[in-house]
Amino acid sequence: MATTLYLSHIMKQAKILFLVVIALLPLILVSCWGGASVAGGWAGTAFRDGIIYVGTRDGRVVAINASTQSQQWDYAANAAIYTTPILDDDLGYVGTYSGRVLALNTTARSQDLSFPQKRYSEWEWNCPTENAGSNAIVADFLASEDSIYVSSSNGRVYSLDKKSGDLNWQSEVLDKEHGKIWTSPVIQGNTLFVSTFDGHIYALSLETGVVLDWSFEWEAGFVSSPVIDADVIYVGSFDRHLYALEIGGNQSLWRFPQEKPAANWFWASPAVNEGVVYAGCLDGRLYAINATTGQELWSYMTEDQKDKPSPIISSPVLMDNLLIVVNESGTVYVFDLTEENREEGVPLEPISIGADVKSSFCAQDGLVYIRSENNSVYVVDIDEGKVAEGWPVSLAIEK
Amino acid sequence: MAVWNLIIGNPVLNVLIALSYLLGGSFGWAIIVLTIIIRLISWPLTKRQLKSTKALQEMQPKIQELQKKYGKNQQKLQQEMMKLYKEAGVNPLGCLWPMLIQFPIWIALYQAIMRALATTPENLLDLAQRLYSWDVVSQAIPLNSHFLGLDLGSPGNIVLAIIVGGTMWVQQKMTQAPAVDPRQESTSRMMLLMMPLMFGFLTFMFPSGLALYWAVSNIIGIVTQYFVTGGWGYLKFSSPFQRASVKGK
Repeated sequence: MATTLYLSHIMKQAKILFLVVIALLPLILVSCWGGASVAGGWAGTAFRDGIIYVGTRDGRVVAINASTQSQQWDYAANAAIYTTPILDDDLGYVGTYSGRVLALNTTARSQDLSFPQKRYSEWEWNCPTENAGSNAIVADFLASEDSIYVSSSNGRVYSLDKKSGDLNWQSEVLDKEHGKIWTSPVIQGNTLFVSTFDGHIYALSLETGVVLDWSFEWEAGFVSSPVIDADVIYVGSFDRHLYALEIGGNQSLWRFPQEKPAANWFWASPAVNEGVVYAGCLDGRLYAINATTGQELWSYMTEDQKDKPSPIISSPVLMDNLLIVVNESGTVYVFDLTEENREEGVPLEPISIGADVKSSFCAQDGLVYIRSENNSVYVVDIDEGKVAEGWPVSLAIEK
Repeated sequence: MAVWNLIIGNPVLNVLIALSYLLGGSFGWAIIVLTIIIRLISWPLTKRQLKSTKALQEMQPKIQELQKKYGKNQQKLQQEMMKLYKEAGVNPLGCLWPMLIQFPIWIALYQAIMRALATTPENLLDLAQRLYSWDVVSQAIPLNSHFLGLDLGSPGNIVLAIIVGGTMWVQQKMTQAPAVDPRQESTSRMMLLMMPLMFGFLTFMFPSGLALYWAVSNIIGIVTQYFVTGGWGYLKFSSPFQRASVKGK
């Protein structure tokens, strides 16, 4: 009798358990970190005339008065923003993960007028999805005197008129394998250079967008946006090397490290100064490399608050004779590049903002403007060696 | 979570990426080959389950006899059925464990697919911290998400949803004996429909890469079931006419 009841009980329980598990399967999969993080954006900061411009994690473009620490205006783009605003006259240009390119006028936005205000030269351009499935704009824009250049997740590069937003040209699909471009182009003379995930560096006519004869092909894809100095392209690869490529050449001039690869990718674009390439790596180390030979001059391991290596995601920035590096844990390192100190590779006293950083940052007049992952903006005073200000970008708008 | 990633999450991810490189950069083929590998590893369990299923199938006439005999006395029926299972050395719950054991594999594979395809910049950055320093891994990244017209990182593929639901129905139908009791019959019919519908829905909601795993896994399941149990099992009684004749015997 007891055994019968037990069996009956087991059968019922098994059925219930089975049904519950099946019903909860989606929740289980998602709650166990499904692997698909939502695009949140990590737009960097731009600074001009006392105003900090930044895209936020909740999809807004915000202008903050640096002296009063109050928001002058904000505009809800309703999609993640990865691009650092580009400023030109009264317009600020940003791109969204939903494929919109926006030219925002500071006066119109201060008055909270509907967008776009034609009389204030505002415009909007929507990137076509085509068959790629995505038109997300992830990479920072590049600006010339009359145009801005936009890399898209549909695999093309677009040239837009700065004043009107009219399409000047669109390139062919450059990354046919992955169908997306998440790196920024770079200009040299009349040519635009683009790196792709399928391991190509393409040269495009600045006037027409036509792919020119010279291109460079490598077996591994390129992860960073290229940087050009003295006809040499510096670019990080998924094979954990940094490459130096002579424009027009068929082979790389050098790769760094020369033998064994680094512990991770060179995600951030390097900075080049006085014949030295400064490259931040996701392994947390900053490398100083001889630009001619590719030999390591020195390296410095950046750390988090627990003294563990912290990845360098943001590109290093040069300010006068200083090299500024910010790692993911929000520690700011300043290296003195004056002739007598540049070979030492020892930073000044590190400054911690106490929040994670993935976005690019800007530096001007001894101040570094950093947007953190907790949706705050920090101002670091390099001369004082401390965080001067730090405030959330959700403050009330100044009227 | 760190232990999970160290032991299961990251190894599955890196093996999947390495396979993709070895198979000419095809992530779809990597999923298919990994599915076959997983099925081979879990073969001892599957074999036990199939043998248990076959034994249950062979016991069906006796079970039906007991159901006819003790249909009105459920307690006695359960008692006799348990005695029968004991004598045959069959565990009626045995078929549940392979399903439950597959759960961690589904979760690891789902994570691996989403992480490997890196559909957002955050995913790509996260991926960098999980990769082994194997050359085959670094040269395979970033992966091509397209396979036979599918975007393996995107959900909403109705064809795959139908294939997964359909193959699951066939697999279940092959093992599910027709019940004599009308109440049991309606319950088992509901179960037979609910599972494929549920998985069809999940396939539609989740990335096509995971759906590909389910579809291939189901097809392998049908084939192995066919050969181990020696035929289509109860699938051949699926038409109402055949069912009537079975009942009439």
